[in-house]
Amino acid sequence: MRKKIDPNNIEQFKAMQESLSLQDAMQEADRCLLCHDAPCSQACPAGTDPGKFIRQIKFENYKGAARTIRNNNPLGAICSLVCPTEKLCEKNCSIKALEEPINIRGLQCFACTYGKENGLEPLPKPVITKSKVAIVGAGPAGISCAAELAKMGYAVTIFEKETAICGVAKWGIPSYRLSEELIAQDVQNLLDLGVNIKYNSPVEINEININKLIEEYRAVFIGVGLTVPSELPFLKGYANVINSTVFLRTARTERNKLKIKDKIVAVIGGGSVAMDAATTAAALGAKKVYAISLESLAELPADSEEIDIAHTMHIIFKPSSQITEVFANGNLITEIKGKEIEWIKPNDFTPNNVRQIAGTDFNLNVDVIIQAIGSQPSSELKQFTKLQKVVGKNIINVDNRYATNIPGVFAGGDIVNGGATLVKAVGEGKAAAQSINNYLTNLAK
Amino acid sequence: MTTKPNLNVTFCGVKFENPFLLSSSPVGNHAEMCARAFDAGWGGIVYKTLGLEESFKVVMPSPRLNAYNYGTKRFIGLQNAEQITDRNIKDNIADITALKKNYPKKVLVSSIMGYKEQDWETLAKMSEDAGADMLELNFSCPQMATKEGGYRVGQNFDAVERYTAATKRATKLPVMAKMTPNITDMLPVALAAKKGGADAIAAINTIRAITDIDIDAFVSLPNIHGNSGITGFSGAAAKPIGLRFVSELYNSKDLNLPISAIGGVETWRDALHYILVGGTTIQVTTAIMKYGYRIVEDMLEGLQDYMIAKNVKSLDELKGLVAKKLVDPSEFNTRYQVVSVIDENKCIGCGQCYIACQDGANQAIIFDSKKRKASVNEARCVGCTLCKHVCPVAGCITTKEVDTKTTKHAAIIE
Repeated sequence: MRKKIDPNNIEQFKAMQESLSLQDAMQEADRCLLCHDAPCSQACPAGTDPGKFIRQIKFENYKGAARTIRNNNPLGAICSLVCPTEKLCEKNCSIKALEEPINIRGLQCFACTYGKENGLEPLPKPVITKSKVAIVGAGPAGISCAAELAKMGYAVTIFEKETAICGVAKWGIPSYRLSEELIAQDVQNLLDLGVNIKYNSPVEINEININKLIEEYRAVFIGVGLTVPSELPFLKGYANVINSTVFLRTARTERNKLKIKDKIVAVIGGGSVAMDAATTAAALGAKKVYAISLESLAELPADSEEIDIAHTMHIIFKPSSQITEVFANGNLITEIKGKEIEWIKPNDFTPNNVRQIAGTDFNLNVDVIIQAIGSQPSSELKQFTKLQKVVGKNIINVDNRYATNIPGVFAGGDIVNGGATLVKAVGEGKAAAQSINNYLTNLAK
Repeated sequence: MTTKPNLNVTFCGVKFENPFLLSSSPVGNHAEMCARAFDAGWGGIVYKTLGLEESFKVVMPSPRLNAYNYGTKRFIGLQNAEQITDRNIKDNIADITALKKNYPKKVLVSSIMGYKEQDWETLAKMSEDAGADMLELNFSCPQMATKEGGYRVGQNFDAVERYTAATKRATKLPVMAKMTPNITDMLPVALAAKKGGADAIAAINTIRAITDIDIDAFVSLPNIHGNSGITGFSGAAAKPIGLRFVSELYNSKDLNLPISAIGGVETWRDALHYILVGGTTIQVTTAIMKYGYRIVEDMLEGLQDYMIAKNVKSLDELKGLVAKKLVDPSEFNTRYQVVSVIDENKCIGCGQCYIACQDGANQAIIFDSKKRKASVNEARCVGCTLCKHVCPVAGCITTKEVDTKTTKHAAIIE
């Protein structure tokens, strides 16, 4: 039982996926085989344990299901709307051998919503018994790390550069996919745990700042994410080229400022962010939206629901395609030229691995270009030489305990994995919290 | 082309074009409804029970129904607080007269209920005069439990015999006595009816039950202005109990009366089950309340296809085939022992069988977490087949016979 995609909701930026009704949730939970080894739970990077919360729903223990999600995943409500479950828990669902996998995301959303609407008690505020820990960045990894540490009795302070927390979930996902109400639910849980959040408090990752933090706090967790959008060199300097980060954030906060109506938009990229940008452009009234990706349709890294939304919004896909040239009138690109490509080696979906196919040239008139080809670490972090980084990628290198080469400094999320799913960042934050606890416990001995 | 098998049955000398009847209930409340049921293909109807207003004035409670839901399955049974007809006896008799005039080949059974012998005689005569083909004596309405009426009569051997005899005195029509299942052993009551002259037995009426409870209002359902009651339960969930009673009646040599079987029939397969345990005609209400008269089409066609497949010419060939194989559990052949066999190719690795065997049986299933496959440790398997029943994959778990002389059972048997 899956929700239908309603283009009207998308056009009005209204939350599209509401929770399953009680009856639908019961029906869905009833299909679950309640596997002995719960392969769904094994596949969740954050350890949300769908095997358990589905069983709780099936046995009418709805609040118990909400508690399981909240205890295991500090961003459980957000994950229930944006997690690519088809590639994780649902991919492992045993019933796939017989029928459609269980709609785990829908059940998770049901449980979170049920808890909220039926007076689930707030998380008890933990008594602080342990030392101070600083978290830099209140994205999924930072929030997850903070919540886990707070539950263990640490005095946690988060330094967040923005006016609100949740990072990419707050700014980078269209409101029709993720409502403010659901974000607020996870935020409230964090506040209930007594985590101290310092807003408008950017901490650049450099030697001075890290030393300062280590002096005041016993341990530091870096979860700053990738803040600088990647750009194609030949698109630099044009006034009608925008990156997806700015585009999606503006769409979320001040969408009237985006002049997209009746424009021809080309989105470059094939991931979830590219799909979000493309559907957002369509929702804003674009005349035509192209989604140009190196990947073929089958290879698109975006999750299938996002691709379905894109199809619903009549996005024109240009898969297996590369832009080769742009034509401009002043500082405005008016036309792009491209070719279809094929991969030289299999399973390497990077620009270095493409071969252009002769005779496949295409020309597109465009008014706006949105780049959605990933992000990079900030330049300050790149220059912070004391912190060991992955050669070529400039992301922070950590050991299997999420510890950096600087004692007491841990890191997780996109800044460590180079950009992955929200749920993976949650998992890394959780794991790092355990490591920080081990580290500080040993230190105290 | 194969000709369609004949579904005619003869029951107490009355010919039915097919064995399917409406049972006495709201589905046969008046002539217009019954006419539509006949048009839909039902072989007969048992008209909503008639009573005499001077003996008992019927006022129906409201709300009077509650569906029994289980998990996401809705309406697997129905509880009702319905009583016998609340229509005027003259109107009902006029309806029966008109129905017999318009549908002379269809069977109309008049169901009656009295509170004293004279009531039964009067109602029997009125029914016969109106053209009814048979009478059904309602000894079993769970909602009308005065000392001399309703299901308490069905628990009272003497009253059953007296009322049956009174009815038989008043009419030449064949008479069937409808039994209550709210009794430990139905046979003595059925035998009392036979002693009073009953020509057939109808079983079962509804089972006294509580289907649901409002945990906020602290009252069971249906909530009748702050109260509820233990009232009649019917429908698919009641069928296993119906099959039990019908088979017991059929297997009694002392009784030896034809049976009109009732209890949770929705499909031709349900009906066939009742025939196989000894039913001759089949009565239906709850499924009609849920799906309408049209379901008889599928019952007729399905039963005919089954008869073709089995090369059966008449339903009499099927009657009681299964009842004959019911023995006392002490007579089971325990030399025959099986163990479960799991088809590794069909196993999807959910481990439900493992959990069930671990916590509900004999710890005889091995779960290989790496391969995600279950297998049977035959030395521990007792052949209970719990695993087979929890397995979600059709045909994945089967059984095989084991040699009781060389296995662990050898020590137990002989």
